[in-house]
Amino acid sequence: MNNLAKFTIGIFFTLGMAWLAFVVGARSQFGDLVPTSEVLDDDGSVPEDAELFPVDISGMAKQGAEEYAALGCVTCHTQQVRRVEAGFDVERGWGKRPSAPRDYVLQEHVLLGNSRIGPDLANVGLRNYSDEWLHQHLFEPQSIFPSSLCPPSPFLYQLVDEPVYSDIGIAPKNNMDKNRTVRPSIRANRLVAYLQELKQDYELPEVSFIETEEELVEEEVISSAGGEAPKWLQDQIDTGKEIYMKAAPGGGMCFACHQQNGEGIAGQFPPLAGSDWVLGNKERLIKISMYGLMGEIEVNGVKYNNVMAPPGIPPGSLTNEQIANVLTYIRNDWGNSASAVSAEEVATVRASLKGRAPMQMFTSAELTTPIQ
Amino acid sequence: MPADSPDKVIDRSAKLVFSFFLSSAGLWLLMAALLAYLAAAKLTDPFFLSSYEFLTYGKIKVAQANAFVYGWGGNSIFAVSLWILARLSQAEVRGSVFLVFAGVIWNLAITFGLLGIMDGHMSGHEMLEMPTEVWPAMLISYLIITFLALVIHRSRQVRETIAPQWFILAALLWFPALFLIAWNGLEINPARGTLQTVLSMWYGQSLVWLWLTPVALGAAYYLIPAILGRTIDKYYLAIFGFWCIAALAPWSVVHHLEGGPVPMWIPAVGTVMSIAMVFPIAVASTNFHATAFMDIGKVWHSLPLRFVIFGTLSYTISSYIGVVFSLPAVAKITQFTIINEFHFNQRVYGFFSMIIFGAVYFALPRITGREIPKAAKSFHFWTSTLGVLMLLLAYLIGGLTHGVLAGQPSLPWSSSVIHSIQPYFLITKFAFIILAFSQFVFVVNVWRIIFPNPFVYFSAENKEASV
Repeated sequence: MNNLAKFTIGIFFTLGMAWLAFVVGARSQFGDLVPTSEVLDDDGSVPEDAELFPVDISGMAKQGAEEYAALGCVTCHTQQVRRVEAGFDVERGWGKRPSAPRDYVLQEHVLLGNSRIGPDLANVGLRNYSDEWLHQHLFEPQSIFPSSLCPPSPFLYQLVDEPVYSDIGIAPKNNMDKNRTVRPSIRANRLVAYLQELKQDYELPEVSFIETEEELVEEEVISSAGGEAPKWLQDQIDTGKEIYMKAAPGGGMCFACHQQNGEGIAGQFPPLAGSDWVLGNKERLIKISMYGLMGEIEVNGVKYNNVMAPPGIPPGSLTNEQIANVLTYIRNDWGNSASAVSAEEVATVRASLKGRAPMQMFTSAELTTPIQ
Repeated sequence: MPADSPDKVIDRSAKLVFSFFLSSAGLWLLMAALLAYLAAAKLTDPFFLSSYEFLTYGKIKVAQANAFVYGWGGNSIFAVSLWILARLSQAEVRGSVFLVFAGVIWNLAITFGLLGIMDGHMSGHEMLEMPTEVWPAMLISYLIITFLALVIHRSRQVRETIAPQWFILAALLWFPALFLIAWNGLEINPARGTLQTVLSMWYGQSLVWLWLTPVALGAAYYLIPAILGRTIDKYYLAIFGFWCIAALAPWSVVHHLEGGPVPMWIPAVGTVMSIAMVFPIAVASTNFHATAFMDIGKVWHSLPLRFVIFGTLSYTISSYIGVVFSLPAVAKITQFTIINEFHFNQRVYGFFSMIIFGAVYFALPRITGREIPKAAKSFHFWTSTLGVLMLLLAYLIGGLTHGVLAGQPSLPWSSSVIHSIQPYFLITKFAFIILAFSQFVFVVNVWRIIFPNPFVYFSAENKEASV
């Protein structure tokens, strides 16, 4: 202890032992992992022509990773699905399987993180979020999840007066900018590209998918009973939400007018959250979902006058099952809680409307009179 | 005029260096306090200043940790270590000009590093987020300071060394080793995949355990006997405690990777070693508290010692909590929660900073010959205590809530799990406001002691030096 040289050797020896283990040892153990196939041949070799995983992400996504690192997203988001015995990650639906060291070998920035004020993002690309949805979330997370603590990033977006195709149809909270739309910058697009490519959707020889009893719980979905929703109902709600949010064939693109949060836009599009129409008679809802609606309508005592084209892409193309799911969804989110709609009920209504010209929109009067 | 006592001569030789490092440390402390408040405020209202990219939460949070550890931590380590080493060696501080020069470089490097973080050049490695461009400047300036600290130690009058010297020297020497290992493994020969994370986590956590912690322990080993005027009780255990920390701490820190995409032996070794850490914790606790409680009245009446004992008590209690939280069954709940914030803030505020405050209040009057008003010191102590306790309790209870709720997959994330811990963020915001006030009073008083009349300081210093 009294000889500085010996003392120095001593303290570096103790530090060096840990260095040997965690740096030198770990490196020789798994420093040379390479992509491999999902299943190996019996002799442990990679089968010919097999696809290798993990695959490298696109150049755009790599630039997005730089943005992700520079903005410090890792402060609140992890990118690791823990082993089942060590945590709830798979149960929560954050991944189909635990993450393995091999998943990260091609990444330049390995951002495992160690804090979860936000959810894990190792598989955010598997959650079927549309690009628009992710943009909206980056622009203003609170417009989707009101109690989110995620910082809004308006500096990645531009407000424009005349929208073009690539703009996202969200209205900023600020009343002054209400009539303008939000245009993503190239940085925002990179970030979204990166998030969409974050997925561990393949098996590896060392780790396979885990079958879970529990279905993935989608954020913010409140079951009709207020407690646990039965699986079939949860399925309907989940699929319905997808249709509600989808802006491609097979989707309803409902969020474009009624908004992600079901609040609509004051004066233009009526709200679905807490709406007397949504929570009321199912038949009217089914009819609107098939043929659309035009003219004046009173929702919760407020009058709206606009045109709702027959939902679906192309218009009026939603199947009985899709209509049942999306209606069940809007009746059971944003605090709504009402009975589910089944495909059979939709089929009955459809049969009763046989002979009505396609695309012939309903009016409010047509829907309310026969019921009363 | 009678000849000055040797201590006085040493204190005078340390005056310039101590004043420089302490006043810089104070500015960093205020900067960190401001950033901590901004970060906490952003967690209570995400729209707060949200349109400024350089103030986005991820950057602020990281900048705060770096300003705190390297700015406040680094500068105060230099100030306190140099003075304690000089006092214990009975040797004068030499090369003050080089020390100040190196200190200026160190501070400039951190300034540019933080600006780099805010400008979007964050590296993403834990506690090494500052852009790599400033790393060489940090290392070189650090090595100059360490070299001159070793020069002081080598010219000591007594060959025998004691506990404060071991801890402080070890901390001074460990830092560059850790830094070089991390630099090599992350930038020069970058490791692939999750090896990066193992290394950066090992570095980030070791920084606290092998740099901040030993300096604070060393200062406590020096201050408690010096103020109480009695020897450390069961001092023969200290050497065992020291080598336990040296041997176990570098292993224990990786238990945070439990369950993650790394080979299972890494977190497993970390967990075992974390549990073994009860030995050095028990030793330090016995040494400090057995000594202090022999004369508890004196501890209470000496403000520096009150700070130190608060720090050592907090070290003991929370280190035991840390051991419990490293058990796999508990880690399953607490991992990735804001319990991490509890651990970090406990280390840097509740333990390290409190002991440094004590050391400053002890050293400053001896070095400058001027005393900080008692009311200011008392205000600083009570507000620090209140702020730290509020902060730690909020993070501890909030962290447990966070973990328990997150562990129930049926609860939606933001509307339920995060919503439930928002009140705790509000508490931390108020705690950071209290701490900011407290530290402001501390720094203003330190500056007033160091620069009683800012405009004549340098000329007065020259006159004194020429005498």
